[in-house]
Amino acid sequence: MAEIILKNVNYQYPLEEKEVVCDFTYCFEQGKVYGLIGENESGKTTLCNIIRGFIPELYRGKLEGEILINGRKISSYDSGELASIVGYSFQNPFVQISGVKDNVYEEIAYGMENIGVPREQMIKRVDELVKMFHLEELVDKNPYELSGGQKQRVALASMIALDPEVVIMDEPTSQLDPKSTEDIFEIVNILKKQGKTIILIEHKIDLVAEYCDSILLMHQGELVMHGDAKDVLTDPKVLEYGGQLPQIVLYFLKQGKLKGNEIPLTVKEAVEKILKEAQR
Amino acid sequence: MAYLELKNVSFQYPNGYTAVENVSMEFEKGEKVAIIGQNGAGKTTTVKLMNGLLRPAKGEVLVGGTSTEKYTTAQIAKNVGYVFQNPDDQIFQDSIYKEIAFGLLKSGMGKAEIDKKVKETATLCGLENVLEEHPYNLSYSKRKFITIAAIVVMDPDVVILDEPTAGQDRDSTERLGKIMNWLTAKNKIVITITHDMEFVVKEFERVIVMAKKQKRRDASPKEIFWDEELLKFSNLKQPYICQFASLLGYRDVLTIDDMIGVTE
Amino acid sequence: MDSRIGKLYPTTKFMITLLVVIISIFTPGYVLQYIMFPAFLIISLMAGTTKQFLNAFFKSIFIIILFIFAMQVFIITNEDQTPIWGFIHFSQAGLATSLSMTSKITAIASAIMTFFETTKVKDITYALEYAGTPRKVTFLISSTIQLIPQMSSLSKTITDAQKSRGIETEGGLMTRIKAFVPMLGPLVLSSIQQTEERVLALESRAFSAKGKKTSIYVLHKTGLDIVLEVLSVILLMGYVVWRVM
Repeated sequence: MAEIILKNVNYQYPLEEKEVVCDFTYCFEQGKVYGLIGENESGKTTLCNIIRGFIPELYRGKLEGEILINGRKISSYDSGELASIVGYSFQNPFVQISGVKDNVYEEIAYGMENIGVPREQMIKRVDELVKMFHLEELVDKNPYELSGGQKQRVALASMIALDPEVVIMDEPTSQLDPKSTEDIFEIVNILKKQGKTIILIEHKIDLVAEYCDSILLMHQGELVMHGDAKDVLTDPKVLEYGGQLPQIVLYFLKQGKLKGNEIPLTVKEAVEKILKEAQR
Repeated sequence: MAYLELKNVSFQYPNGYTAVENVSMEFEKGEKVAIIGQNGAGKTTTVKLMNGLLRPAKGEVLVGGTSTEKYTTAQIAKNVGYVFQNPDDQIFQDSIYKEIAFGLLKSGMGKAEIDKKVKETATLCGLENVLEEHPYNLSYSKRKFITIAAIVVMDPDVVILDEPTAGQDRDSTERLGKIMNWLTAKNKIVITITHDMEFVVKEFERVIVMAKKQKRRDASPKEIFWDEELLKFSNLKQPYICQFASLLGYRDVLTIDDMIGVTE
Repeated sequence: MDSRIGKLYPTTKFMITLLVVIISIFTPGYVLQYIMFPAFLIISLMAGTTKQFLNAFFKSIFIIILFIFAMQVFIITNEDQTPIWGFIHFSQAGLATSLSMTSKITAIASAIMTFFETTKVKDITYALEYAGTPRKVTFLISSTIQLIPQMSSLSKTITDAQKSRGIETEGGLMTRIKAFVPMLGPLVLSSIQQTEERVLALESRAFSAKGKKTSIYVLHKTGLDIVLEVLSVILLMGYVVWRVM
């Protein structure tokens, strides 16, 4: 069953002349991990704001086209309802701290409190999430006093607490160091195993190649390339549109011995492939 | 002769936490150096000692042979510029032109010359078409270039960049490389803190590794990224091509070309 | 905040504070009011907040009290003044007025300060919400209070950033005044800019969802709370009756 359908979506910010998203049509299927890539300002964040309903509810401007979530028009959903269906996480860890809770344990529960989840259920869920995201040592700390990576993990846990079917992550690791980045992608994996649909905006293309099933490449507001990761991320055309390719792919493209989607995307795949070849 | 020197510096925060211990490093004019290390290793503390934001508890910091002890940070900033990671901690003017020009206005430079310098620096940073706009009209990643321009325009002898590549796309990362090369061509010292190993391989010939409050190694990228013990101790990963080469039994490979060379 | 007093339900403490304030305002004379200071000092001792109490009192209220005394007794014109030197005189009436004013200030300030020192903001907002205050209002209160230490640490970062670009912040008064705008600018601008994203982040936590809210944190009224509240009401009623008679 298709999860999110966008048809001919156009959007213009108020007071701007250019369309930030042009004629966007795509169908996001349940349970897949989508990598949304492209230059900065190509429309990726705007697109995600539209999917989550922030546009047009919180941003004015001209929105055209159809957006359906689980078969229903997005405009038919209550704003509170949408939070439990489409989760959203932001690039800036600081901004995602609610600011009203003085410890991580309650911070995670905040969203559930807002929708009126009974207390026993909340406690169970928070305990679950603390375990899932390895936050045991942080539960008593003030969210403001955490490091960037820790804040980001707590923000994700709080968002997942509402059990959304779709999770949008907008550059979750941009401001983090490699270790924290790893922690975040581990979470992506966990969510993937839970069958959630994930839309990930990321610049770290090697990690995108490792974790994403499908790729969408945006350029100047348009969806210029899309498909399975192994088809898109092995295509040099990505570079023409301001996107990036994984290091391994660049290697094989330069070397020239493999073509098209025979090219492996990650170090692991490449090594396996070469060792298998050597055995023959 | 080294222009910027840290001699056996140590620093402790008021709460007793030692952030760097006995660190020494030297930089000569025209050099481009990357400082890498896990968060908490002491990288930021080290560079803050360079521009006087922090003062060494032990040891000394010398700029052009003179100790920084008797100077305020703002005075040292004339020679050692530091671009913070978050541009929003610095931006306060209502036009990009004014933001870049701000530091020069106090220097007594003529208006025509200021204008020339601002435009030159803005072009270098890709901001020549948006000088009249409000800084917040630009995206966060573009705003980083505004703060870089604001420091570069002051013409300090050392420019420290704190994680300039975070959140940047391909074009912006390339532009950063261009800016660094422009600076070293003018005989400036460029010191960059970064977590992007591919960026380090592409742009730097000298890398300083920091781990557990000390400088652990100061060498070329090839030596650093093939020093497995060092990387393990410092909790650092090799660039992807090195990982690839290593798993196939090769060594001392740094770039795609290197790899193609050894596999022919 | 973990003492028995800290753990009392906020409404209990509020009622006691209110009782003290009303009694202080409407009782003539000054002895009772002044006694409130040592009384609340003892309460602070029991609550473990003596340091904060004395700190806050002497840094602000005490100075105001001295000022009032000085003005009323020596400077402000009164009918019964006896001149001492130049425009300085001594006034008995002024002394009486200042005793009356300052004693009330002492009592009210002691009570209110102790209230806030022994009650967590968290508990106050919990009690408010339980009493029916809308979430949006308590959000404003909590987030503002929590933001204050963040703002001060952010200002430090901004100061560092501005120093690093050559803006002199250390030195004489003139220097500091000139540094004011570069310090405040980024604070205000980035706060405004962040607000946009913050609103979205809150939306992701279903901030604007309709319907009843729940709370993972709970605070219960104990037997002691009920006893104290009933006592406060009785004392208040008794006092009103006594004053009216």
